[in-house]
Amino acid sequence: MDGPPTTRLVTTALRCYPARWRRRHGDEATELAALLIRDGSPPASVALSYLAGATREWLTPRPGRRLSAVACALLTAACSAGFLASTVPARAASTSPPPAYCRPAATAPVPDVGSAPTGQQLIIREAWDDRSC
Amino acid sequence: MAVSSRDNRAGPDVLRRVGEASVLILISLADGPKHGYALIQDIKALAGVELGPGTLYGALDRLERLGLIESLPADDRRHPYRMTAPGAAALRVHLDSLERVSAAGRLRLQLGGI
Repeated sequence: MDGPPTTRLVTTALRCYPARWRRRHGDEATELAALLIRDGSPPASVALSYLAGATREWLTPRPGRRLSAVACALLTAACSAGFLASTVPARAASTSPPPAYCRPAATAPVPDVGSAPTGQQLIIREAWDDRSC
Repeated sequence: MAVSSRDNRAGPDVLRRVGEASVLILISLADGPKHGYALIQDIKALAGVELGPGTLYGALDRLERLGLIESLPADDRRHPYRMTAPGAAALRVHLDSLERVSAAGRLRLQLGGI
């Protein structure tokens, strides 16, 4: 794998599986994730696939499984999904240009106020500058 | 040409409801045992479908529960899987059914002149 954050994402996703599944597939699943990431699969997509698989695994009815365990697993999966969602867009946002309305006011077009008196022009300008990101 | 959804002269099509991933896994295992990574690579080359690892293990467990594949002793950390005789029979029935539907579709396209 290409670093600790990647390992952590996949490990967190694999922890969401039931213990029985982890005993059976855990080592192989970790190795498979490493191979897929080495081949160019995005680590977040590998982790999300495992997360979806863990959710399906918990939701598949099995004898002797208690409802509270299923609820705990769903909560863990939801928290992990939130963590992943907050990580990926933050990285993507740092590389993309800001939207047009986030650019400095000096470069933004000023609405044509024609022959309006100075007071009105000021109000329009303030309203334009007040746009937030 | 009429294709009935209940046409099951060779036995019921148990693969009808297992999903595309499971069918692709069975097709991949038809020429010999493979482990998870080899299955993903083979299915990508065979059908252009990239199975996620979570989807792969879900499908493998389902097929094993149905008795259509079996796990072989682990080779290092990897578990190879092998298709069972009922798995091969189920795949034949499913592929026959797909062939009938495919032939009917082609015929109708021909008759429709589209």
